[in-house]
This record gives sequence, C-alpha cells and structure tokens, in this order.
Amino acid sequence: MVATSSPGAHLRRRSERIEPVPASPPIRVAIVGGGRGGTALLDALHQIGTIEIVGITDKDPTAPGLRRAQEINVTIYERIADLIKIPGLNLVMDLTGDPAMKSVLQEQLMPETDLVSGQASRLLRTLVQHESALQTELLHAEKLAGIGSFAAGIAHDMNNPLQLILGLAENLTEETDLDAVHLQARDIIDAVKRTTAICRDLTSYSRRASLRQDCLIAINGKLDEALKIARYAVALQDIEIRKLYQPDVVVKGNPDELLHVFVNLITNAVQAMEHHGTLTLETKAMADATQVRVSDTGSGIAPELLGRIFEPFFTTKPPGKGTGLGLYNIKNVIHHMNGTIEVESHVGRGSTFVLTFPSESSAGERTTPP
Amino acid sequence: MSEFKSGFFVGGESSNGRVLIVDDEPDIRKVVRMTLQKAGYDVLEAENGEKAIEVINSGENRLLLDVIICDIRMPKVNGIEAIAYFRQNYPRVPLIVLTGFPDTDMATSLLRQGVVDYLVKPVEGDKLKASVARAMEQRELAHL
Repeated sequence: MVATSSPGAHLRRRSERIEPVPASPPIRVAIVGGGRGGTALLDALHQIGTIEIVGITDKDPTAPGLRRAQEINVTIYERIADLIKIPGLNLVMDLTGDPAMKSVLQEQLMPETDLVSGQASRLLRTLVQHESALQTELLHAEKLAGIGSFAAGIAHDMNNPLQLILGLAENLTEETDLDAVHLQARDIIDAVKRTTAICRDLTSYSRRASLRQDCLIAINGKLDEALKIARYAVALQDIEIRKLYQPDVVVKGNPDELLHVFVNLITNAVQAMEHHGTLTLETKAMADATQVRVSDTGSGIAPELLGRIFEPFFTTKPPGKGTGLGLYNIKNVIHHMNGTIEVESHVGRGSTFVLTFPSESSAGERTTPP
Repeated sequence: MSEFKSGFFVGGESSNGRVLIVDDEPDIRKVVRMTLQKAGYDVLEAENGEKAIEVINSGENRLLLDVIICDIRMPKVNGIEAIAYFRQNYPRVPLIVLTGFPDTDMATSLLRQGVVDYLVKPVEGDKLKASVARAMEQRELAHL
C-alpha cells in the first residue's frame, strides 16, 4: 500500500483503493458469459488490483454481467472473436456453461492466452460464491458483535420510559381527577410507543442484510437513521452534530449494508472524540460522483497505524472491545458499491473518512424509504 | 421514618425534606417529583450535573438540601462527575443514584464513595420513598 502525503506536517491520507505496486504486470483477463457465474466472477476480480479485466461478452445483450460491466466501466464486446484476440491477453474465462464453447475458444485463442473452462470454471465460480457468502457472514457477525456495545444505550432508552410508565400507573391507582387520569394514560401510551420504536429500530438493524438487488438509497435519510442507531453504542449528548446535507443525494447499493457502514463510521468518530467534540456529516453530489464525508475532531490516527486500519482484525481497542473487522467490512461494502474510501487524519485534530461513489440519476428509479 | 425534618433546623419549612432530582429526561423528573411530593417532600429539578451544581450552590439550598437523586448518563457534567463534586463539597448531603443502566462495577464503586443507594430504573414508588427515607436518616445522623 502506498500512502500519499497531504499538506501539513502530520496530516496523513490513506486510500484503500491504492493497492501495492505489483512487481509484475497485471494479469489481463477476458470473461466469456455474463450470467450469474460471470457476474460473480466479474465482481470478485474487479476488486483485485493485480488483475485487469479487459472485457466481457455474452450473446444475450441483456445479461446481468453486461449491465454490471457497464456500471464498473469494463468494456463489453459484441463478438467473442474481438474479445479473445486482444493483444497481451493472458487468460480467457469461460463462464457460459456451454460444453461446446471450450473447443470454439481453443480454436481461436492466441498461443500466449490460457483458457479456463468446463469443470475448472465451475470450481472457480463455486469458490467465488463461497467467498461472497463468507463476506456476508463476516459482515453480519461483526454487526452482531457490535450490538453488544449497545447495552448501555438500550438500557437507558428502555428503562426511562418504563420508569415513567410505572410511576404514572402507580399514581393512577389513587388518582381521582378524571382529567388527570386521561392525561397520564396518554403519557403511558406515548411511552410505550417510544419503547416499541427502540425494539423496532434494533431488530431491523440486527437482521441479516437483505439479499434484494441493489437499489437507489436516499443517503441523507440513511445517515440520520445511522445516527439513531449509533446513539445506543455511544453517548451523543455532548457531541455537536453538524449536518451539511445536499438535498436528494442518492447512491446505488444495499441499504442494510450502507446503514451498517454509517453506524460504524459514526461510532468510531464519537469514540475518537471521547464523547466531546464535533461530528460533521456531509453529502455532496458532483458531476460524476457522490461523496459522503464523516469527520470528527478527535484524537486522529497515528501515521504509522494509518496504513493498517483497513486490514482485517486490526484494532487499537483493548481486547474484547473491538473485533477489528469494522473498517475491513466497510471497505468491502464500499467496494461492492464500486466506491472508494479514503481517510485524512491529523493527530490531535481529528479524522475525515471520505466515501466516493459513482453518481446515480434518481430519475424514475426506486429509492428506499427515508 | 425519622421525625427529622430539615426545616426543623433552619426554620420555616414544613415538608419532610428537600430533594433534588438530577436527570436529563423530563419524564423521569416528573414522576419522581410526583411520587415524592405526595410523600411530603419538596422537590427541585436539574437536567444535568452542571445545573445541579448551580442549584445546590444557590441561596438557601446550600443549607436546606437534604437528598440528591442523580442519574449517571447525562450531558455536560455527567452523574459521575457531579457525584464527585457533591461528595467533595457537600459530603453531608446523602446521594442516591437512579440510573437506567445496571452496572455492578459502577454500583460498587459509587457505594464505596458513600452513595446511599444505587437504584435501577424502573423503580417502584415505595422503594424510591424508602430509599429517600434512609437517606434522610443519614442526613439526620450527619447533623448530630
């Protein structure tokens, strides 16, 4: 990984998209077949810096793999022959599942190009699907581990309305003024509704991320939702919260996963401030990208640690306090959304996590409810 | 319950005592006030530790305040900081913690610091009144 320095003696910037400089040229790969297998492989290989996907093809122009390729700027070829004869191509991956395709490809391949087909490509597809399932499980496990830290916040928010309910109910056993009885009964109903809302928020958050197709997400609403959840994990009452939202900003992705990303970033930011400081949430739609910035005025990240924060199991928290999977999972979710995540940090002054996504047009497309 | 009343010493008061409830939730202050007023106490309110310190340092409260009931998780000056201040500056005013989060380590630590009771919400009115009565007895002993 390479860290690029920014102005200021202690300011450090780290982007998880900057991969190690490969010692040898990237492996140039072509994908034949844009069905489920081809799409899964495209997604997996796209995340690896040492692999270059030169193109994809499918006889069906509506194949999901071709749509995905368009989203991540991989070239789509109409004719197989045009794709597999690209000079310098190292590997052709046949994901068509068509037994006749292997011999067709073998006849046309350049001598320096290898072919993965038949059972070998089935095995590869199985591995990719297994890896994807593991990522999902890891995300869920880390989320559930994090919910343990919600205990204090949940107890606070549940037991306060319960105290009100108990106190009013006790009073009602002796209350003779009918107006007061009505008033207190209404207070009890409101308190029960508040308690129910806490349960609803938490059960919704703790569920497994839905497997539904990616959709457009109204990002300002998702940040507000994340703030509601994060306050169970960290005390926000002494944090000044600045919202610099551009209206109607949307990104495409899985709303459950993005909520988890925001909860994690907000929780980390508040913990870095030791519960006193300013949390800034900013959204911005630019010409070709959408940006979300989560900034804190906390302790910052030491330059020697900055390069490791996206590594799995890396944590600066005491044993039992952090899984070390938070930022690692965030990186994976952002990758899946074809976005990038960068961090700018200044020791003693705070950190800013910058999430950049490809821009989306909201016209006529479905968004998640706020 | 003890016959001791703070008013007996400073004159002019007829209540069972003066209690300060410190909690950031207005609803909690409301029900505690309701419960204790019916039991004959004067009840003052503060929404955080900072306000509580202002209340105890204002006018006759320096002398008349008998018991403080304090939450832990509050903005500005939290319960732990406020309790430390009260123990240092008003060691003879008994303290009761009324919190939403049961934390054994914190309870042990606070009881060692001299807190009279560590109550976890929701607490029944009778239990709260009994706790305040115990605190009043301590207050009485402190005056002897």
